[in-house]
Amino acid sequence: MANQKVSQDTGDLVLNRISKFYGDFKAVDDLSLTVPDGSFFALLGPSGCGKTTTLRMIAGLEEPSQGTIHIGETDITTQKPYRRNVNTVFQNYALFPHLTIFENVAFGLRRRGIKDVKAEVDKALALVELGHLAERKPGQLSGGQQQRIAVARAIVNRPEVLLLDEPLGALDLKLRRQMQIELKRIQMEVGITFIHVTHDQEEAMTMADTIAVMNQGKIEQMGSATDLYEAPRTAFVANFLGQCNLIKAKVQSRAGGKAVVTAKGHTFEIPLSRVSTENDSILLGVRPEKLRLDDKGINSIKDCVVTDRSFVGTSTQYLVRTPWDLELVVFEQNDEGLHDLRVGDKVSLEWDPEHTFGLDGAQDVNAGADLDDDE
Amino acid sequence: MKRDIESLAPETRALIRAQLTRRSLLVGAGAVVGAGTLAACGTGGSETEGAGIVDVSDTEKIVRWANWPLYLDFDEDAKVYPTLQQFESATGITVTYTEDIDDNNSFYGKVQGQLAIGSDIGYDIVTPTDWMAARFIEQGYAQELDAANIPNKGNIREVLANVGFDPGRNYSLTWQSGFAGFGWNVQKIPKGVRTMEDLFAPANKGRVVVLSELRDTIGVILQYQGVDPSGPFTEDQYMNAIDFLKGKIADGFIRKVRGNSYSEDLVNGDAVAVIGWSGDLFILKSENDGKFDFAIPESGGTLWSDNMLVPSTSTHKKNAELLMNHYYDPAVAAEVAAYVNYICPVEAAQPELEKIDPELAASPFIFPDAETLSKVKVFRALTADEQTNFQAAFDEAIGN
Amino acid sequence: MAFLHTATGTSSGPKSGIKSKSWTPYLLLAPGLIWLITFFIFPIISLASTSTMVRPEGAQIGTYVQELRFANYIDAFQANQEQYIRSFIYAALATILALAIAYPLAYMIAFKSGKYRNILLVLVVAPFFTSFLLRTVAWTQILGDEGPIVSTLKLLPFVDESMRLTSTPFAVVSGLTYNFLPFMTLPLYASLERIDPRTLEASGDLYANAFTTFRKVTVPLSLPGVVAGTLLTFIPAAGDYINAAILGNPNTRMIGNVIESRFFAVVDYPTAAALSFTLMATILILVTLYIRRTNTDELV
Ligand SMILES: Nc1ncnc2c1ncn2[C@@H]1O[C@H](COP(=O)(O)OP(=O)(O)O)[C@@H](O)[C@H]1O
Ligand SMILES: [Mg+2]
Repeated sequence: MANQKVSQDTGDLVLNRISKFYGDFKAVDDLSLTVPDGSFFALLGPSGCGKTTTLRMIAGLEEPSQGTIHIGETDITTQKPYRRNVNTVFQNYALFPHLTIFENVAFGLRRRGIKDVKAEVDKALALVELGHLAERKPGQLSGGQQQRIAVARAIVNRPEVLLLDEPLGALDLKLRRQMQIELKRIQMEVGITFIHVTHDQEEAMTMADTIAVMNQGKIEQMGSATDLYEAPRTAFVANFLGQCNLIKAKVQSRAGGKAVVTAKGHTFEIPLSRVSTENDSILLGVRPEKLRLDDKGINSIKDCVVTDRSFVGTSTQYLVRTPWDLELVVFEQNDEGLHDLRVGDKVSLEWDPEHTFGLDGAQDVNAGADLDDDE
Repeated sequence: MKRDIESLAPETRALIRAQLTRRSLLVGAGAVVGAGTLAACGTGGSETEGAGIVDVSDTEKIVRWANWPLYLDFDEDAKVYPTLQQFESATGITVTYTEDIDDNNSFYGKVQGQLAIGSDIGYDIVTPTDWMAARFIEQGYAQELDAANIPNKGNIREVLANVGFDPGRNYSLTWQSGFAGFGWNVQKIPKGVRTMEDLFAPANKGRVVVLSELRDTIGVILQYQGVDPSGPFTEDQYMNAIDFLKGKIADGFIRKVRGNSYSEDLVNGDAVAVIGWSGDLFILKSENDGKFDFAIPESGGTLWSDNMLVPSTSTHKKNAELLMNHYYDPAVAAEVAAYVNYICPVEAAQPELEKIDPELAASPFIFPDAETLSKVKVFRALTADEQTNFQAAFDEAIGN
Repeated sequence: MAFLHTATGTSSGPKSGIKSKSWTPYLLLAPGLIWLITFFIFPIISLASTSTMVRPEGAQIGTYVQELRFANYIDAFQANQEQYIRSFIYAALATILALAIAYPLAYMIAFKSGKYRNILLVLVVAPFFTSFLLRTVAWTQILGDEGPIVSTLKLLPFVDESMRLTSTPFAVVSGLTYNFLPFMTLPLYASLERIDPRTLEASGDLYANAFTTFRKVTVPLSLPGVVAGTLLTFIPAAGDYINAAILGNPNTRMIGNVIESRFFAVVDYPTAAALSFTLMATILILVTLYIRRTNTDELV
């Protein structure tokens, strides 16, 4: 309606210690987050970790049990959804089945009494390249088209923040890849804050400037894709983003910018800057592609045995068993220096200290591993 | 038209009574389509009497009887009909007793198609009211009775022995009878209702209900207008009575035109005075500590009867006759009378009823004396043309 | 009708064509066809044929011969215009009232009832567990002059002693409304329940307040239920005669009462058939126009 006041706040979106309880169950647990204005932000986490709940609180569809939400200076914690300058692309698009595509997109404009609806809608449809479908009904569109209409319907309102709840979840892999690029392009064109919820780490890494990894209602770690991948600070993040080898170890000394640790009689070095704990019991982490089948380096393990090998095109993937029966994953690029080992071959492993990180040893080694990251 | 239902809870009684409308309410909302199917079967009635019907009574020891609801003595505890049981054990004939007649017209509508083509309607005795019995006989849908099988036939009350539609009772025997007259709420009308002026007194405006049974309502009005409904009255005289009825409806004196459910209107206060049936008011009176009463109008009331007939399609006529004979035994008739409280067709049952219930035996509603009988008339038989035109005029008058 | 299309994006699956010529579909259709012929086509034909018959002077009651007298229709209609028009007015009023009552009820059950949903649904259909007739009779007691409602109303200073509810048009329309309410409620419930709650959230997200969401999303999406419910109420209500017979007076009779009377009491089958036919045809025309107008087949 024309006389409805919609907030025109701009600025960063700030969640301050918000929680959401369903009975005794904490769906979101004391979560704080700042999303910089204009950024493409991804909220990444396994299914059930509270992503949708968080998003719904931002949209105003759910009220936080505790905590506050601000856009810039304005507290929007209890503001009605239809007053928030926030729009959502719903998980299953939630297009209005009884309205044409044009009217779907025009819906928010009409409610706000915008004058030139047609021009705005046409622009939005052009942005998602579906102008020719304006007179169809949603039921006559493919999944990918519906998805883009859902984006157009939200974006046409020029919200301060656009929330996308697993917007690509229902699409097949190829279409998903294509849409990832498309969404990224749209975000750059319109320049508004996108909060993109996904459980697909690859998707998050491809699209987002900043990723917040969420687990059991809390943020585990926030940063750029590279930060999170190269320097995870929890076992969950290490495992959830790509694959990771984690070795239980003891810190022997912390000096000269490096920590010296031992595991089963082997000694390894980690730059102190990459050790995220004060604890002496740590998990030593190294990514599979950082391991080399050699024995020259400072960090090395001799007398290992190849237990499995699989060829995956650009690389060969080995499973290598250490003398103390721990299986590590090794990726070797398929270039000149190829070793071409067989199962049962004796081998040594080595890696650079700069590629090593140290995590708090009190964590579960397998946290975050095998959590529907390729669904 | 129904037995004593005092033994039931009041609400149940009220609901049962509501179902007992003599005009059809139970046919359900199917009338629209029903009119098509049944009418198709019903058109072009044919003479089928005797055609291919062989009495197999001696080999098939059964008789199937369709009667009105709550119209035969019933043992609530044993869940049996005692007088029927007596008959079964005495004769070895099995009786299938059903309360399938809710309304003369709808019952006729249901069976007429089969009667017309001579296919078994599933009953060996049916119990329509006089005028409908007349139609059955006239259309050849009733079999002639063999008096030799009904020695008790002679017990029939004199006024019932020679009726216009069946002189000598060759096709039918009376089951029970009743009067139509004025009923009223004693608390609201202490001085009673004995004349048409009493009925339509200004104080009763909008609280009068009359029967939807043409012969009773118009029969009472005709007598008020000095016309004998049992005599050869003319169409003009009939239409005068219709005009009188129309006038009272238009003036808002008559609130509803109803079947049996008028007794409910009396109970819930919608009606303070009615044209109704003796039996109903008799029961209402005893159920409500004398709150209601009944009188035959000074200008005259009507007498109606329900009659046992053997339909033309029955192959168990002899068994049916034996059953009729059984119920014309004074002792058996008294047992039924003690239960249903209508006029007993067997006068000799009075001393028998005295043994069961002396108070009932003295009731002029069950054993009317000559003076009571002199105040009532039986509506005369109508020709087919009259029946069609008069019924149409009556139904139009009551809004249909 | 409109239920065939689904709202979700996955409805565009491939349609399987007929692969080979087979008798199976026809065999499967047979019982339905036989049923249709026996209980619909045949009665319709016989109804049509009866409607133009004439009763020869002096013939037995219920005897009619075919004379193709189409004037029966004109006679029947002219003689009963009043009840005819009244039927449609009462049915329309009852339909509107039922919609007004059933919509909030169905809405509440669909969206707000939580774990009580099934109990409430059972309560909606509970009246069906007793006979239509008995329920209507019960109304005469509730609305009677000495019943609870009138007695209570009479306590009010401005209600005078002659106040009554039974044997009034009000009682007949109320009875119709009450008796057909479940037919309105259930289709409404079914269509409301099918609405994806996320479309309602999306509407709120797109700046519509609760009322606008109701008007712009909920109502249009429940339109198939509204159409189905109003038809299921209006059609039987227009042909009903129980309510008018039990709750009305001689001036509130409907066309169903006339048909019933002509058929059973007067045994005037041609008039009854002509009236039934006219009623059926009128309902059919009204329904067709209505469905055209509401455009239900395009909905959803
Ligand atoms: N309305 C609700 N009532 C109870 N539990 C809920 C409700 N909504 C969500 N939850 C629970 O909260 C947790 C987080 O849900 P959600 O935010 O949808 O997860 P995600 O979107 O990350 O998959 C889940 O365990 C879910 O079962
Ligand atoms: Mg989710």
